[in-house]
Amino acid sequence: MKNSPRKEGRLSPGSAALWTGLMLATFVACVSLGSVNIPLRDVWNAVFGGEVSRETYRSIIWWTRLPRVLCAGLMGAALSLCGAAMQGLLRNPLADGSTLGVSSGAALGAALSIVLGISVPGLESAGPAAMAMIFAFGSLLMILALAWGIDRSFATHNIILIGVVFTMLVSALLSILITFSGEKLRSITYWTMGSLSGKSYEQAAVLLGGMILFGLPLFLQSRELNAFAVGEENAVHIGVPVRRVKLTVMICASALIGICVSIGGSIAFVGLIVPHMVRLAAGPNHRRLLPLSAFAGTVFLMLADLAARSILSPLELPIGVVTSLIGAVVFIVIFYRSRKGGIR
Amino acid sequence: MSKKLVSLFLALALTLACAPVLAEGGVTVTDMTGREIVLDGPAAKIVALTASDVEIIYALGAGDLLVGRGEYCDWPAEVLEKPVVKSGAETNLEEILALEPDVVIMATMAQSKEQVEALEQAGVKVIVSDAQNLEGVYTAITLIGDVTGKTEEAAAIVQGMKDTFDGIRAKAQDSGKTIYFEVSPLEWGLWAAGSGTFMDELAGICGLTNAFADVEGWGAVSEEQVFEKDPDYIVTTAMYWGEGPTPVEEVKGRAGWDQLKAVQNDQIFNADQNEITRPGPRLADAAAALYEFVYGTEAEEPAA
Amino acid sequence: MLKAEHLMVRYGERTVLEDISLEVNPGEWHVIVGPNGAGKSTLAGVLGKTVPYEGTVRLEGKDIREIPAQEYARKVGVLSQNHSAVYGFTVEEVVGLGRYARNTGFLHRSDPDGAEKTDEALALTGLAEMRKRNMLTLSGGERQRVFLAQVFCQDPEILILDEPANHLDLPFQQELFTLIRAWLKTPGRAVITVMHDLSPARKYGSHALLLDRGKRAAQGEVSEVLTPKTLQVVYGMDVYGWMREMLTQWK
Repeated sequence: MKNSPRKEGRLSPGSAALWTGLMLATFVACVSLGSVNIPLRDVWNAVFGGEVSRETYRSIIWWTRLPRVLCAGLMGAALSLCGAAMQGLLRNPLADGSTLGVSSGAALGAALSIVLGISVPGLESAGPAAMAMIFAFGSLLMILALAWGIDRSFATHNIILIGVVFTMLVSALLSILITFSGEKLRSITYWTMGSLSGKSYEQAAVLLGGMILFGLPLFLQSRELNAFAVGEENAVHIGVPVRRVKLTVMICASALIGICVSIGGSIAFVGLIVPHMVRLAAGPNHRRLLPLSAFAGTVFLMLADLAARSILSPLELPIGVVTSLIGAVVFIVIFYRSRKGGIR
Repeated sequence: MSKKLVSLFLALALTLACAPVLAEGGVTVTDMTGREIVLDGPAAKIVALTASDVEIIYALGAGDLLVGRGEYCDWPAEVLEKPVVKSGAETNLEEILALEPDVVIMATMAQSKEQVEALEQAGVKVIVSDAQNLEGVYTAITLIGDVTGKTEEAAAIVQGMKDTFDGIRAKAQDSGKTIYFEVSPLEWGLWAAGSGTFMDELAGICGLTNAFADVEGWGAVSEEQVFEKDPDYIVTTAMYWGEGPTPVEEVKGRAGWDQLKAVQNDQIFNADQNEITRPGPRLADAAAALYEFVYGTEAEEPAA
Repeated sequence: MLKAEHLMVRYGERTVLEDISLEVNPGEWHVIVGPNGAGKSTLAGVLGKTVPYEGTVRLEGKDIREIPAQEYARKVGVLSQNHSAVYGFTVEEVVGLGRYARNTGFLHRSDPDGAEKTDEALALTGLAEMRKRNMLTLSGGERQRVFLAQVFCQDPEILILDEPANHLDLPFQQELFTLIRAWLKTPGRAVITVMHDLSPARKYGSHALLLDRGKRAAQGEVSEVLTPKTLQVVYGMDVYGWMREMLTQWK
């Protein structure tokens, strides 16, 4: 080899290390802080099994904060990764993982299970989550079947249109359901607003599994996504197997979104705003964009959740409100600065 | 015996004090938003939109006057046979007018100003009840008593409730123990009843301190706050739908909750959601049930 | 090397291409000409695998529908007319994408010649200085050159260029056609260009296909197809006379 292949566009080891450090620091901060003040030494001992000054602290750290922060981080990574991939694939900066209508489909599934009292035998409390997964996948199949029926090529504009219309339809069904739900209303709004309250290690493990099973394939599509982001016709011409890539990305993103919704409801804005911010800061190349979005999403959702559970202590804010609020403000600041300094 | 006599006397005194102003065969009442309403006489056909008001009407023995009810009114059982009308944001005026009531009773949260005006223009009197505490419940009962011409019955009910509460308050020692009212389970995000709620008042009557007195009204609270407060008692108002773990089992089964005093001592109670949240006569039953849970049945009998 | 037979393209009721055949051999430069709406770009789209069609296209005897996307892209490079930019990629990122089909090895991540070929293509199209520029800040002509560079970077055997001179000013047009001619000198290569401008078509092309509302009006050697007489029939005007009149303006 005369000259080593260009590393252009890749995430440099330096910034990877920087982001890993930032992520770990955020993780530590989020486990240490909360609506109950716990001395740092007790936090450390609670995690690593030492003596704590009050047993309550161990419960709080070990059973409440740790699983919750883990779930927040993993969900942030998954939502942002899916958002970045879909924005590239559909060549539309307003897309995100829920553009295909998957998350509203999942919410409908959960709501149906609550209203009709459908449950999984042997796993009664898992009914809504299971139904959310099933409906997420059903929605995807339906949208793909419709897009396939139109012209067999899964044309991007058709997919976006079908997804948007499907989302509206599902929201209407959800509203009807809510009208008839009466006292079960609260549990349904949970699925439509999202919440990270009461998350468990099992759920964190499911999210991690989802990231490995469906997130990894997304990371491996970075060059293909670059091609799609430049233009789908151009992607065909340079030899990208477009249909296969489209299906891979849409299925993986939808499955991952389905898992997220089934665990924490549909948390707004993360999948839209985080990739956007990363793109403004680091450019649209998916070799950087995908990993950076995952990193930034992790940090973002962990911090948003920290804010949600500690700002109004002992009260807790809905996480969707916090993500929308912080997301919008941070976005405007970054957008304004970047536009002032020239187009990025 | 003497106690009963006193209460009878009190009831009579109350009746006289609150007696509606009779204006030539008519009745003038002041509803809970301070509006003065002149009725031609006791109401003969009533539509009530709020569950608690319906419960009050039945407690007064005026159930036969009810010609329509809001959709969530489900107690006592015979009310279910009455025609249903939409309430709250979906209040449908035509539906109500079709029942030809002369009085509509609704809560502040169940109506808008425009709806009230529209009803009154159609010749229907609107009475607004707005009980935020026990004192408010007494006022609501008295008010509805006046409207239905059951003034004396209303006074008796109010007195009965006060007696129950006083009885419990006398028996319960101020233990300094804390209680946590959970109105939404962990799965959907914890919600606790804070200060200014009926549950908070009931806790006080039973000699307990609300663990979330620092929360105003109802609020979503952090799970870790429950650990921090480590209450002596947990009351969940979750409904049991007949499958899966019961609400009490669900609370016990939560990860890490086995560290809580209330779980270790098995002090978790599944309260009747409607009884304990509706500002009606059944709050006395809720208080009795709560007392029984805290002190056990043997404490029910006053020391002989 | 590329042989299309009885191509037919329909959009609903409307037939856009009807019974078109084309055979391209090494060393040839085919120009596809015709008035607006004749189906020139549609034909390029068929050969670029972006337009559904009836009939067959064979590359070295193999039906192109059966050739995997990457393999086809190594043989055939296509420049289309639509390339609006949505995201701010850099010039070299877009040009470098031309190497997509050339990547081999584990997860298709290895391309030893990639950097060199990208540099070459950037230099060929005069973009070396602009390699870090943002696509969103480029003019139409600059953007056209970026995608030309990409297709050269792809290093195919057959070039299919739909209006390659679009947006380019005269010196760049001249340079481009000279460049393609030089590129074609290497044995085993062929070029197909869709052009509405008849003069360069006549100057550079070896073979021509004249289309008229989706049908073949004339086909064969350039000198036989692009004659004043055939053009008069297809365009419904004295094309030759018009061109001459234009030239007299400069006397």
